[in-house]
Amino acid sequence: MSQTVSSNNKGASIEIDRLAKTFGSVRAVDDVSLTIEPGEFVALLGPSGSGKSTVLMSVAGFERPSAGRIMIGGKDCTRLPPNKRDIGMVFQHYTLFPHLSVGDNVAFPLKMRGVAKAERRRQAEAALEIVRLGGYGDRMPKQLSGGQQQRVALARAIVYNPQVLLMDEPLSALDKNLREEMQIEIKRLHAELGFTVVFVTHDQGEALTMADRIAILKAGRLQQVSPARELYERPSNLFAASFIGEMNMLPVQWDGANATFSEREHIRLPDSASIETVPSGRAVLAVRPERLSVTSPGETGSWRATVSDVVYAGAGSLLITHLHDGSEVRLRVASAGQAPVRPGQAIGIKVPPEAALLYPADAAR
Amino acid sequence: MKAGFFEANGRQMSRGAILLLMAPFFALVIFAFLYPLGSLLSLSVLEPSPTLTNYERVFDNPIYATVLYRTLRMALLVSLLSLALSLPVAILMANSRGPKAVFLTACVLLPFWSSVLVRTAAWSILLQRNGLVNEFLQGIGITSEPLRLLYTQGAVVIAMTHVLMPFMVLPIYGALRNIPFDYNRAAAICGAGPLRSFWEVTLPLAMPGILGGFILVFLTALGYFITPSLLGSPQEMMIATLISQQIRENLDWPFAAALVGVLTLLVTIITLVFSKVFRFERMLGARA
Repeated sequence: MSQTVSSNNKGASIEIDRLAKTFGSVRAVDDVSLTIEPGEFVALLGPSGSGKSTVLMSVAGFERPSAGRIMIGGKDCTRLPPNKRDIGMVFQHYTLFPHLSVGDNVAFPLKMRGVAKAERRRQAEAALEIVRLGGYGDRMPKQLSGGQQQRVALARAIVYNPQVLLMDEPLSALDKNLREEMQIEIKRLHAELGFTVVFVTHDQGEALTMADRIAILKAGRLQQVSPARELYERPSNLFAASFIGEMNMLPVQWDGANATFSEREHIRLPDSASIETVPSGRAVLAVRPERLSVTSPGETGSWRATVSDVVYAGAGSLLITHLHDGSEVRLRVASAGQAPVRPGQAIGIKVPPEAALLYPADAAR
Repeated sequence: MKAGFFEANGRQMSRGAILLLMAPFFALVIFAFLYPLGSLLSLSVLEPSPTLTNYERVFDNPIYATVLYRTLRMALLVSLLSLALSLPVAILMANSRGPKAVFLTACVLLPFWSSVLVRTAAWSILLQRNGLVNEFLQGIGITSEPLRLLYTQGAVVIAMTHVLMPFMVLPIYGALRNIPFDYNRAAAICGAGPLRSFWEVTLPLAMPGILGGFILVFLTALGYFITPSLLGSPQEMMIATLISQQIRENLDWPFAAALVGVLTLLVTIITLVFSKVFRFERMLGARA
């Protein structure tokens, strides 16, 4: 592929240091610190209003932080206007300039940097080839599909070899198939060109599949920054645990070694169950539905439960059950090779101790 | 993608509904505009007998060509001046929210609430020999005795610009307001500073509004009557005043009709050239 675009590349580091942004009395971003390594792919994930977009816009330079510092490639950019930051960005709604052809759109950043016309045309075409839209330069943005437009936006963002690429929910306007195709495309570009990516999304699946590390935000505060696997298997607090994937949460009494349910069924937990020290007393036991399995009722170490509903979904089935104290426990089990379970039936639920996580109760959202 | 003439957003109307909706307006256009214009123009070629003498008279006497040329020049001047004054106002309006936006819009629309006559009369008070403007100029020592400001082309241009400015501001404001904010962000992240971003992105996208406002003001100014006849010098007439004079003082209807014919032709040519050069419909279509 083209040398012009793929040369010179190694991403820049981004250091977000105690960033805060208040709008009136609302703290949109509250004391967020995050260091992103050169070439790393980090997703900012959170519900709407979590401040993830504000963090991104502060890195881009569209929001002026109320406090804190932003360093890009070791350079303090906190007060630098966006046009001087030399970063690429893909927006949610493509934002291709409607009065310019696809080629002129991609060449726009080069024009702003004083690149001569013939050279910009060549580099723009090279960038279009990278996003597999070679030969589309003469068309107008309106003549392209949504997915193609977003790829043009991607080409425009990478054409001048930025060391940092920011993406603000770039795939949310696309339908599911296109979205998956674009996810692969972006991952490929990241691997080939090596720039640092900060990617804002509210889609946890997208964050899990694409990012090296995921930063979870809630109400302007950073909850956890971890690689996907760690985030899923060892969420650091109850919010992270409930936000990513499905999670059973059961109120328990914790005495330092055993978690006891109200009806005195208990489970002995290994030390690794608590991510941080959990004081004795009320606590929450969290376990993923797919880690649970069905056994015969009364088997030692299993929880007694009654099935309330069975939802068949092809490869897997969802069992909704209730313990004797009324708390709901969901199980995801493989549909094949499973003895049929019917609503009303009494079963035992087998819990591998290493699958259970313990959180202090008062840290609940 | 090409939609039928009577089809918008996939909705199709029955022929009857279309005719019903258009009937009142077209009835008005036909009876109050096309019919009188047609009979006036037929007057120009039929009176006193089928002839082109009336038109020959327009072009024979250089004084009429001078009036025509002056009218064009002043209309152009008014359009350029109001464009220069309107663009900043429209930009400010488009970038304002809340009470500030309401206030600005009110300022622009305020002139609409008083009649053109009042606004023009206000200028004749301001510009008279012992008016505010002359007093100010003498006060700061630019001139020692009152200048002749009233009954000049300058007075006409200034007052007409004032009267017609809303027609320039509003389309430009509309066009600017329709430009999504993200475009300027995209331009900025691509490396464009605020001025560059305005020049490369905002201005081209606002062009339909700018051209729309420009042609609206220009064509209105071409045929404008009240302001030139009240503030202008009789020696420096514009065409509307000339036509009125021919009708009311000379009672020369056929010749006045010929002048109307020339003006109408001119307006048509200018509109056609304008839309050809700037591909007017395409831009309007593209923004729709």
